[in-house]
Amino acid sequence: MSLHPRVVVCLDVKDGRVVKGTRFKGLRDVGDPVELAARYEAEGADEIVYLDISASREGRGTLLDLVRRTAEVLFVPLTVGGGIREVADIGQLLRAGADKISVNTAAVGEPELLSEGASRFGSQCIVISVDAARSPTNGWRAFTHGGSVPTGLDAVGWAAEAVQRGAGEVLLTSIDRDGARTGYDVELTRAVAELVPVPVVASGGAGEAAHLRDTFVNGMASAALVAGILHDGLTTVGALKTALADWGVDVRLTSPVPGPVGEAA
Amino acid sequence: MRVALLDYGAGNLHSLGKALERGGATVSVTSDWDRALAADALVLPGVGAFSAAVAALPEDRNRVRDALARGLPCLGICLGMQLFFDGSDEGEGEGIGLIPGRVRQLDAPVVPHMGWNDVDEVGDPLFAGLGGGLAAYFAHSYRCDPVDSAIVIGWTEYAGDRMAAAVRWKRSWGVQFHPEKSSRGGLKLVANFLEMARQ
Repeated sequence: MSLHPRVVVCLDVKDGRVVKGTRFKGLRDVGDPVELAARYEAEGADEIVYLDISASREGRGTLLDLVRRTAEVLFVPLTVGGGIREVADIGQLLRAGADKISVNTAAVGEPELLSEGASRFGSQCIVISVDAARSPTNGWRAFTHGGSVPTGLDAVGWAAEAVQRGAGEVLLTSIDRDGARTGYDVELTRAVAELVPVPVVASGGAGEAAHLRDTFVNGMASAALVAGILHDGLTTVGALKTALADWGVDVRLTSPVPGPVGEAA
Repeated sequence: MRVALLDYGAGNLHSLGKALERGGATVSVTSDWDRALAADALVLPGVGAFSAAVAALPEDRNRVRDALARGLPCLGICLGMQLFFDGSDEGEGEGIGLIPGRVRQLDAPVVPHMGWNDVDEVGDPLFAGLGGGLAAYFAHSYRCDPVDSAIVIGWTEYAGDRMAAAVRWKRSWGVQFHPEKSSRGGLKLVANFLEMARQ
């Protein structure tokens, strides 16, 4: 008996709607986040992540309202990231119904955000999001602003520092693999997972169930983030988990208890 | 059935409130102990730090202890369960002192214990209809260490350490995991609590 490796579903959210595209380009509306989140829970998702890419102030208000509506129908953990600048933003999101928040850009500029957030709300709800790209020379470098701005920081070292400052989980995205569907950057995941004493969520590159197995078994990831292949209907959370279970990966299989879940109630 | 959901002033209470409502409860979120102890059932949620929650307890702990001893049904979740005990390594202050024992820091290579883990239950009606146990969502860095393990009604194992996942003292139940984040199985457990509270 031990922790089940988690399958985490990520939804990119803009102005209260789920959008799809290559990060910030060619976005199109694909649905209502609340409905989709509840559906993914019913399929067996272990956790949902909203990554908010709204730029405007109005977008922030819409996000809080969305988080509130989601918390009323979603009964698995919800992580919300994007646009968090100060401790007050964290408090607002948690109060609205997020279980964890993830920060990237703001934490690089002001790492105290992590320690202040952790001491106020507990490490378990502070996630450091690290966007990493392979360096032409060696290792990986950390980027901010949705992968567009290089920080010059060593990604693995920065993840470790962020954890030391109070982050209770690392959401680690490989920029090189993001959207490529050729598998997670297992080497990157393992480098961070071996160094930090908190769970690591591998992100970027999921194309099929075997990629998830690889990141759990060889990357030492506690969780694997999946997005595009689900939204495009190429597979389902249930199909991924069944394949993983067949290979002996101890994923949580959906509870046999009958009863309504999510919006179906 | 009127359920008081205690508000320590931090964190997400929405999902838990909705989980209780789905079980047929009328929920009032309150930080007023007079109101909380006058409800049909009390729920101590699991958000925040031990010291902050302790600061929200009434100065006279006996008020809470006596109400629970008289049979006020109570469900303590995560930190809420930890409040049943005497004290915690996490911070200053005394808990309710309902269950003898202390809350200690987890000793594991990866802390917090965060994610879905299996709960092995011993037949308490809190777990009725769950097929002998459930996979539940945990997110904690401290564990309850009761003096008398007979009060433990569910166990879990993390990093080779077997620990209390659920306890029961009369009509008070404590769970270290988050039923409101444990999907259908968790909602069933919340409904089971309400069912027993009605009796």
